[in-house]
Formats: sequence, C-alpha cells, structure tokens
Amino acid sequence: MTDNRLTIALAGNANVGKSVIFNYLTGLHQHIGNWPGKTVEKAEGTLHFKGYTIDIIDLPGIYSLSTFSIEELVSREYIAVERPDLVINVVDASALERNLFFTLQLVELETPMIIALNQKDMAEKKGIRIDHEKLESILGIPVVSTVAIKGVGVYELLETAVGIAEGDVDAKPSGVRYGDEVEMRIRKMIDMMRDAPLKYSPRYTAIQLLQGDEEIEKEVSMINPEVVSTAGRLTEELEEIHGHPSSTVITSERYGIAGRIASEVQKVTTPTKQPLIETLHNITTDRFFGYPIMLAVVLSMFFTVFSFGDLLSGLLGDFFSSWQAIFESVFGAGVVGELMWGGVMEGIIAGVTIALPYIAPFYLILYLLEDSGYLSRMAFLMDGLMHKIGLHGKAFIPVMLGYGCNVPACLGCRIVETERERLLAGFITTLVPCAARTVIILGLVGAFMGIQWALALYVFDLLVIFALGRIAFKALPGEPTALIMEMNDYRVPHVKTVAQQTWFRLEEFIKMAFPLIIVGSVAVKLLEVLNLLEPIGRILSPVTVAWLGLPAVIGVTLIFGVLRKELMLTMLATLLETRDFTTVLAPLQMVVFTLVAMFYIPCVATIAALTKEFGWRKALFITVFEIAFAIVLGGVAFRLLPVLGLH
Amino acid sequence: MELPLTELRDGESGTITSVRIGQDRGRGHGRGGRGWGLERRLADMGLTPGTRVTAARSAPLHGPLEVLVRGTRLALGRGVAERVFVEVER
Repeated sequence: MTDNRLTIALAGNANVGKSVIFNYLTGLHQHIGNWPGKTVEKAEGTLHFKGYTIDIIDLPGIYSLSTFSIEELVSREYIAVERPDLVINVVDASALERNLFFTLQLVELETPMIIALNQKDMAEKKGIRIDHEKLESILGIPVVSTVAIKGVGVYELLETAVGIAEGDVDAKPSGVRYGDEVEMRIRKMIDMMRDAPLKYSPRYTAIQLLQGDEEIEKEVSMINPEVVSTAGRLTEELEEIHGHPSSTVITSERYGIAGRIASEVQKVTTPTKQPLIETLHNITTDRFFGYPIMLAVVLSMFFTVFSFGDLLSGLLGDFFSSWQAIFESVFGAGVVGELMWGGVMEGIIAGVTIALPYIAPFYLILYLLEDSGYLSRMAFLMDGLMHKIGLHGKAFIPVMLGYGCNVPACLGCRIVETERERLLAGFITTLVPCAARTVIILGLVGAFMGIQWALALYVFDLLVIFALGRIAFKALPGEPTALIMEMNDYRVPHVKTVAQQTWFRLEEFIKMAFPLIIVGSVAVKLLEVLNLLEPIGRILSPVTVAWLGLPAVIGVTLIFGVLRKELMLTMLATLLETRDFTTVLAPLQMVVFTLVAMFYIPCVATIAALTKEFGWRKALFITVFEIAFAIVLGGVAFRLLPVLGLH
Repeated sequence: MELPLTELRDGESGTITSVRIGQDRGRGHGRGGRGWGLERRLADMGLTPGTRVTAARSAPLHGPLEVLVRGTRLALGRGVAERVFVEVER
C-alpha cells in the first residue's frame, strides 16, 4: 500500500442508505462498471480527505455472505482477497437485528471495520433509541451515527477512517461467541487449520465449513482434505443434536446473537405512529386497490415520459435541423457531405432526440419509485403472474423498462438473482415494444386503422411474451428462484441520489448505444449512396413479397430497422413516396408489417446490451430466433387474417 | 397446531417450527442439494426455527405472502411460504 492512499468498502443490506452515503462521499467522481466477469455492478469513487486519497467501493446490498447470489460471492471475495483497508458497514438503525446479522458475518471475516449507524431519525420515529457507545463496546469497533440524507455524520465517518489508518483508533472487531456446542466445533476446526494458507479468516472458514459452504470446501480440500471430512462429521453431530440442518443451526444462533445485541443496545418506546406510511403500504398492496393503483402509476409514468419526450424530442429536432445548412457548407453536398450529415449527424441526432428524451425521464421516474419503496410493492403484486413465465415479481421491473427502451431493460435484468433468470428476463424484455416500436405501431396501424387495432397489437404482444416466456422457461434447465424480498417502509426519495443514479445510467447508455447508432447510420447511408438499397430489396423479395405479401421496398426498411427502428416509418414513406400509407398499403399489409417490425430483431444497441450481459452466443441465438419468429408470424398472419375478414 | 405459513389468517402470528424442503430430512440433509440453498436463504432473512412471524396479507393470483419477521417486512413467494411451518394457537 502506498502512503496516503486508502481503500474503503461500503457494505450492508439493501435500502439502508448505502448509496446515499456513497454519493455523498464521492459526488460525481465515481465510475460504474462491472465486477470482472460478472454481471454485477461495481461502483467506485474517489475523494480527498486530510491529505489522503480515498478510494471507495460500494459493494452490492446484501443480507448475508453465503454463496447464493453472485452479489454475495462478489462481496465476500472482494473483502477477503482484495483486502480493503477498511469496511464501513452501513446499518439501518430502524432494523437493527437484521442488519447486525450481516455485521456479525463481517466480524467473522476479521476485517477492520466501522459501523455507520444510519437512518437514526427513522428509527427514532419508530420509537427506537440506540446507545451507540454500548454497541461500540460490545463489538469492539467504532460506531458512528449518521443521517446520510442530510449528510449528518459523514465527516465523522471519514475522520474515524483516517484515525484507523493512522493507528489512533482500533477497528479490529472482537470475537462473537456462539453457543457452546457450535463454538467448541468452530475452535476444533480452527485448530486443525492453524498454519493453512487460507483465503478467508480461519474463524470464517471454520464457520462456513460447518455450514457446508461448497466453495470453501473446495478450496480447503485442496490444502487439506482431512479438514473437510472432519467438518462433515462435526456437521452431522450438530444436526443430530439440534434436528435441523447445521447451516440453519448456525444461522439461527447468529440471529440469536444479533437479537441479543440489538435488545441490549436499543430502547424501544411506543412508536410515534406513522399512520400515513402504514396506510400507504396497505392500500398499495391491497388485493383490490393495489392493481388499479399500479395501473394508474404505470400509465401516468408512460404518459409523463412520452409527453415530455415528444416535446423535448421536437425541440431538439428543430434545433439540430438548423445545422444542416452549416454542415453542407463545410462538407459540401457531395458524397462526403451526405455521409457526414445523413450518416454521422443523423445518427447523433437520432440518439439525442429519440433515445435520450424518453430514456432520461423514464430512468428518473423509475429511480424515484424505487427509492420511495414502490417498486418492491409492484414486484409483490406481480409475482403471481410473473411466476407463470418462470420469473419472480422483481423481473417485472425490467419488463416495464422495456417499454421505454430495451437497452436499459436488458441491463436492468441484473435485478434478478440467477444467471438463468437473467437470461430469461433478458429475452422477454427484447419482445417488449420499446418507444421506437411504439412509433411504428401508433404511426401506422394506430393512425391509419384506428387506435383499437394498435391496442389489439399491444395485447397480442403481451400474449406472445407470455407464450414465448413460458416456452423459454420450460426449455431452460433449472428451477425458478422464489421471491424473497424485503419491503422497506415508504420514504421520501432522496432526489440527489436519484438524479445521480439517472445520470450514471444515461452515461452507460450513451457509451454503449451511441457509437452503434452512429456507425449504423453511416452504414445505411453508405448503402444508399452506393445505390445498393434496391438490389437488397430485390434479394429479400422472396421473403418480403412472396411470403409476407408486402411491397419489395419493405426489405430495405427491415435492414434499416436493425439499426434504428423508429425511422422505419419515415424510410417507408420516402421509399413509397407518400406519407398517406392507405394509398399504398392495404390494412392487412400494415398489420403484417407492424407485426414483423415489432418482433423481428432486437435493434443493434439491444444486441450489444445482450452480448454484454449474456455473451455473444446467447445474443446471437436470441437475434436469430426473433428474426425467424417474426417472419413466420408475419407470413401466418398474412394468410390467416384474411380468413378473419381483414384484407 | 402446526400449519404452513400460507394457511395463516391475515394478521395471525406463529412460531416457526421447520422449513421443509425436499422429502429426506435428518442427517446430512440435502447438503448442496437443491433445497438447501433455499433453506439457507430463508434463514439468512431471519426465518429460522423458533422465530415469531406474522402473516400480514397475501397477494392474489397465487401471489406472494407478506410476513412480518424480526421487525422487518418480507415478501415471500407462495411456493416458499408453503414450506415454512409454524406453530399457532387456535
């Protein structure tokens, strides 16, 4: 370690204000990436304090350090292998017992740590007062009270951290003892591993071995297989004594210790009633009122996003189109000028005017809902339905995001726990008609055939999602994970944190999608300049004309749509030389075209997102599948709908 | 009387007796097996034998249960909640 450089990891349960503290500490000096090889977000930031350069790592919000989610695995490996100088364990003062359960596991890892006792104000409203000096003396580590949303205590947190770095403050946690039967066996294990080069602390390793942690068993058996077999024997003894699996026995005892510490340090008086928060929870999860409320929330969210997006998109579009003349005077009106304007600039304009005005408010509202606690209620309400397609309630959130844009939806699938379900959710979200596809649905079918047809297509899309989701669920090997989710009390969202999260999300989107949109735009322009569009249309005509019954020029728009779906309609108008589509397309053709456009391929930016999350093979598979599916569906519709009276 | 969590009336409380996942219980039960992870996840969230839980409500469409445990509020998928057994006084 170089002098004056500190690495601090923030660890704690979900929704305890960890990210608020992180944002408070690092401001805009942060970087969000992925943990190497994992689809788990890694947020890092830097700050300067009293001559120290401090790197802060925000670990995922977790409840335990076992191995049942990637987040837990990533967190414990980071703490054990990378060995940060200090772990700040953010603890929700209003749910001390559950939070201390996690704290005790950090203590077992024997990492230097301090506790940030957060949301003290919320706890006090619940009638909970905590003697933090007593907590300090029991655990043997510094405890700092904070109210992160107001910035209270954050300075003291840093001061304490520096104090520890300089050796003024002791932050080595003292041991926590289990019941005699367990403790004796832990000691036995520790003795056996005395000089072994372990990855984790001997005590943590011993406890995990007694809980049957497969990953740690594997590692230890490479060093000394005898230790693992002894652990197996001791585990059986424990199970014999208690009649429960030994992992349950140990977890249960650890919760017992957490509960004892909690009751020792906190005084609970009658809570100042929080009728509003309780009523709000009751109404929003009610079996009758819950759904209309959710529908109203979702619809008003879409309405806000689309009306705001339309407005901003129009303004930005006007602003950019005024640049065209300048461009032409610089690059001329020749091939180069065409490529620069029609390719590069149009790509940028599309990104800025189509994607951002919709995605930014979408993210903003979604994060507000998340921070307030409403998203977990939505997950609660939707769990039953989502289970039918092998996902649990939380996966409803990326699906909803998909209506804005499939790219963030795809990235949002990280919210579900297992790789299998992430893939399933990722696949589902690419079938959700995003804003760009909505432009086609509303602009063609909606405008020329009536809104009822557009709505019918949306309903049909939901049915397809459901059917394909169910097939994929049955086809993918593995068991669905059950919903086990904490529902935090409602609270007023912390606007600054929400705004920052929105910003970093947008940054991620821009970095990933913009280069592709621009390259795609140039490529299409190039095809146009080289007069290759018509031959391509001809090559595709067996599919477009013979199978789908559409005009040959449609082939070109399909190619184009891979890059930018929202412009398919404009392109179609140009190629058909009219904006009044009724004169060139029969209603049947409109429906077939829209159906194909809805399903036939995730756009290039979505393919990139799929590749990033699931690897190129799976991304390719999804892409090829959806092309085939859309073409088959379109052809069937072309033959079947006339039977139903649509020509 | 011992009942699965899903059989509790709204607002009723009980003490967890066991979490039954898979058929074979007892020695070396399901270490690394498929139910094992679930049992441990539940335990990690505080649903351990001897703990007092209150069933607050259940969502329709075969949806999850809301339970109060250790001063926090959890949503539990119905499939899981069916496997958590509690002792209640009726």
